Amino acid sequence: MPKLLNVPFVDLGAQYLEIRDDLLNRIDEIGKSGQYVLGEECRQFELELADFCGSSFAISVANGSDALFLVLKSLGIGPGDEVITAPNSFLASAWVIVATGAVPKYCDVDSYHNLDPLSFKQAITSRTKAVIPVHLAGVPCDIEKIVEIANASNIQVIEDCAQAIGATFNGRHVGNFGIAGGFSLHPLKNLGVMGDGGFITTNDEQLAQKLLMLRNHGLKNRDEMLIWGYNSRLDEVQAAVGRLKLRLLKKWNKRVAEIADKYRKAFLGRIDLPNFPTESRPVWHNFLIFHEKRDEMREYLLENGVDTRIHYPIPIHLQIGHNNEFSAGDFPKAEYQSAHSLSLPIYPTMSNEQVQHVVTNVLEFCQMNLP
Amino acid sequence: MRHESSQVIGNFLPEQYEKDAQLEINHNYLTSQFFDYKEIFKRIEGVVLQNDFTLGKAVDDFERRFAGLHQAEYAIGVGSGSDAIFLSLKALGIGPGDEVITPPFTFFATVGAIATTGATPVFVDVEIDGFNLNLDLIEAAITPRTRAIVPVHWAGRICDMKRLRQIADKNQLKIVEDACHAVSATRDGEFAGALSETACFSFHPLKNLNVWGDGGIILTNSFELSKRLKLLRNHGLVSRNECHEFAFNSRLDTIQAVIADYLCDKLPEITNARIRNSKYLDSHLKDFPQIQLHTRMENLKEVYHLYSFLCEKRDDLSEFLRSRGIDAKIHYPTPLHLQPAAKHLGHKRGDFPIAERVSNQVLSLPVHEFITTEQLDFMIQSIKEFYDAQTA
Repeated sequence: MPKLLNVPFVDLGAQYLEIRDDLLNRIDEIGKSGQYVLGEECRQFELELADFCGSSFAISVANGSDALFLVLKSLGIGPGDEVITAPNSFLASAWVIVATGAVPKYCDVDSYHNLDPLSFKQAITSRTKAVIPVHLAGVPCDIEKIVEIANASNIQVIEDCAQAIGATFNGRHVGNFGIAGGFSLHPLKNLGVMGDGGFITTNDEQLAQKLLMLRNHGLKNRDEMLIWGYNSRLDEVQAAVGRLKLRLLKKWNKRVAEIADKYRKAFLGRIDLPNFPTESRPVWHNFLIFHEKRDEMREYLLENGVDTRIHYPIPIHLQIGHNNEFSAGDFPKAEYQSAHSLSLPIYPTMSNEQVQHVVTNVLEFCQMNLP
Repeated sequence: MRHESSQVIGNFLPEQYEKDAQLEINHNYLTSQFFDYKEIFKRIEGVVLQNDFTLGKAVDDFERRFAGLHQAEYAIGVGSGSDAIFLSLKALGIGPGDEVITPPFTFFATVGAIATTGATPVFVDVEIDGFNLNLDLIEAAITPRTRAIVPVHWAGRICDMKRLRQIADKNQLKIVEDACHAVSATRDGEFAGALSETACFSFHPLKNLNVWGDGGIILTNSFELSKRLKLLRNHGLVSRNECHEFAFNSRLDTIQAVIADYLCDKLPEITNARIRNSKYLDSHLKDFPQIQLHTRMENLKEVYHLYSFLCEKRDDLSEFLRSRGIDAKIHYPTPLHLQPAAKHLGHKRGDFPIAERVSNQVLSLPVHEFITTEQLDFMIQSIKEFYDAQTA
């Protein structure tokens, strides 16, 4: 079956070819330097990421989950505390809360499929210490309103930017609105390395200092440990991959925005699309559409060579990991998304023909399945 | 506005590496090790072009191979040696309110892994011969809250696991081995992992079996534990969309598994060279009254991740050797119970006298596979000159 596909969901091999020669040289340099952890590549990458995101500090870590987890730990969040997040995210957004010993609380999403500010306000209790708004699929949530509500209740905002590198709200990069932002460099992300990776942005020097220790065994130098810490570092080789791809990210994000534009123009008024705040400039990590017969549409597209995904078919509050603590109907909009959303292929190396092929087949299916 | 994180704190390694790089006989041999990087690139490209970056076939293959090499049933690749210990403890349900016994003379991560589960690390002193846990002292440290023991096979010298298992069974305790130094090491013909719940290995660049960054692996003979650990390392996912328990992200990168697999071919060679170099140093250093070597035992296959010994005037000797271009290193100058992070445990100097003595007198010399006999002779000669000058 996969042989027939002519629009795969991702094509990382093509991205690799763009950086191949430079990368092989860099890896050779790293190999010869003998320094594979926390070295020059990592240091430079952090500076470049801070520049790119317009943040004072960027701190690289082992993965996107750790990015959020280490921020929560640094803020002293743990048992007895509550942290609010969106139930339609990747489950790591909730896991990082559980990992600290705190309790994840959810609120429903808005028409942008992101944390609904009003629903968030209602979910706040005296135990709420933080909120993790998610810029899902690379579409910035209504972050300014969320920060305003959080500030009024003395709650820390930690942005889950795992899918949103390069996205802005009112011209400002995500990851700068709260105390910190957690980013993922997982291979499938807009900026992805060749394995797991992540980083944190913050404008708070004290927090940055704490994070730099927490990611490296709590060490102040080779022999002195100030706090109990973790091992969560970005490998030099991965930093080299990240640096080379970061140079191309603006170009790639621009191409992805072009594709999203084509999709939106073609689908507008014909198919249910998630909206986004006018202040948001998304980076379209995923392009979601909604349809009553989602599963049939997915099958139809696959038969016609278009590979799609569902982000995510089971909302976090209904995962077995939650032991029936919640029931279906608790967060209807998030559940609607799980049941009806479909993610279309969107990546910089897609050709216009491929985009058109997706559009044609989606519209054909809609035509055949008019409500 | 932007800041260099290294100016704030933490990114201290570059300076250290630069200093070490000026030495001629170095602990870090990575430059020589990967002279045939092109072969590795070829294998990595295979993974890259298949988009197979997280877990995937290369990780499965390597896990099976590593388990086979150590005669274990299951191997679970994880993000680092630290995570291997942390996840093992989590899988055994260890957390707040529990106590875990471990030596104060070890790398930070052994104790960091225990403390970050929320459990309390309880230190038991080490033996002066071998620097491993003193098994005679363990039972006195056991309380009703003790749940597990984390022994460290220091430098690749395996503890008396048979006796430790007896102590653990008698007191219903679990054993998680810190085998980060002990790839390929045996005691009575048995590898780490044979007598414990899990054995934890590191593939940090300076380990006997290394990768190009952080990496680790857990060995276990329990199917249940292996299943649990596979969930814990990958968000608790049983499939792409089903999460059975909320859990961590700690995976061995696929490209790192490719490198580890490649180096597995060379592991016997690497191990034998370290043993050969260490025996050579032994045969010459044993005559120095100022130096105390470990008793070498017939039933032990030590793999010498570090060649360390106790010596008089350690700091002066270390400085002298470094001035000669020899990368003498101290692993580690401050025992864990005296670290600022351990303040809440309420220890003071004198609580673990052997660990403290070792920290004050221990020194390591490079014995990796790229060290030549001439270099070994030069190290021996330099040590001789140093002590001769002292007695003159």
